[in-house]
Amino acid sequence: MNHSANTARASLADAKMKQVNKKFRITGLTTGALSGLTYGIYTTLVLVAGYYEPLVSAVGILAAPYVCSGLNDLFAGIWLTIYNAKKGRLAEIGRTINTFPGKMMVLGALLGGPIANGAYLVGLALAGAYAIPISATCGLFGALFAWIFLKQRPTKRVVAGMIICVSGAIIINWVKPEGSPNFTLGIICALIAAICWGLEGMLSSYGGSMIDTDVATNIRELFSGLVDLVIIVPLVGGLGLLGGTLSAGMPVLWLAISGLSAGASFLLWYKSNATVGCAIGMSLNVTYAFWGVLFCILFLNQPVTLTIVVGSVVIIFGAILVTMNPLDFFKKGEA
Amino acid sequence: MLLPARMAVLNYLSSVENADVNEIMEAMRPLYGKERQFTKDAYLDHVMSLEANGLCSLIRYELDDKDELSLRFAINDDGRAAVEKYVPAKYRNK
Repeated sequence: MNHSANTARASLADAKMKQVNKKFRITGLTTGALSGLTYGIYTTLVLVAGYYEPLVSAVGILAAPYVCSGLNDLFAGIWLTIYNAKKGRLAEIGRTINTFPGKMMVLGALLGGPIANGAYLVGLALAGAYAIPISATCGLFGALFAWIFLKQRPTKRVVAGMIICVSGAIIINWVKPEGSPNFTLGIICALIAAICWGLEGMLSSYGGSMIDTDVATNIRELFSGLVDLVIIVPLVGGLGLLGGTLSAGMPVLWLAISGLSAGASFLLWYKSNATVGCAIGMSLNVTYAFWGVLFCILFLNQPVTLTIVVGSVVIIFGAILVTMNPLDFFKKGEA
Repeated sequence: MLLPARMAVLNYLSSVENADVNEIMEAMRPLYGKERQFTKDAYLDHVMSLEANGLCSLIRYELDDKDELSLRFAINDDGRAAVEKYVPAKYRNK
């Protein structure tokens, strides 16, 4: 082959490579953005399910959120199992649990599912949309735990982002909304959720990147739903409520749809993390706080107050700063 | 029980200097070849995700005989450490 033919082939290879990179990057950014949107939809739909009998008049603060959380996660797990079955990947579930990173993931699922998801929904029930941006501080806790346990020192940018997150949380809590006696408890629950999600993220650093993300999300949602329904719901005295909810029909239908959006959200988020990197993936996912608050204002009559708007914007900005340098979005734009 | 496919791809990369997707699939065909997930798209996704997670590197790309883009990947230090830490010895290639 002569020289010019070689050059032509090389430049054709360059062009094709550029195409592949571009496609990979666009996939990563789109999946990340969609994961935020679908998580906002999930949050809103779970609240909608809670407006139906018997959930709306359930006694105690734990039973209804855990029935919702358990059914939602179980549905998400079932949707993801159907998806993986269609892709011919069912055997991967057992194989993955059989490995050490897979076992760490199950442990993370127990923290992130029954504890964090449950606390998130208790927080939503008690503090309304105010709980959403508070839970978005999980990136801050992820960075904090990596600092303490993995000795990963945060940069100045990350510390600045952490401080901004905390200021946003203070702004949100400055004025308590009228008529919610357990508001502060709700905010504390949202904080517990953020802490456990942060820990879950840290656990996934034990070999989690060797695991197929589509399988990982499937395991997580399925385990979380089963543990919620089989262990936690009976513990909090919610079995009667679970039976009542299942026979009521309508709330189950809403939870099946919210489970679909939660499953889609995790699938898209992990995919985004695995294509454009965890930092950009997490920052895009955190936009769920914006969508969640917006949908609650649009569809659920959440009153618009100055503190919730300013606080949400500040927390989202802080969370993005914790996970990435915002300028990177523009720098790599031409790739 | 077999290793999960993505982990098996990294495990294979730890036994060779470098490989493209076709070579990876050929090496895995005896154990995984009959599965419905055994597609070029899925395996390209595995190896590119491993790269995005910093466990292997793209060392070169070229056009193959059919003028299709062939990406060559090699495991790096982080990837080798992950294999040593998390892949049980009985699966590891000599």
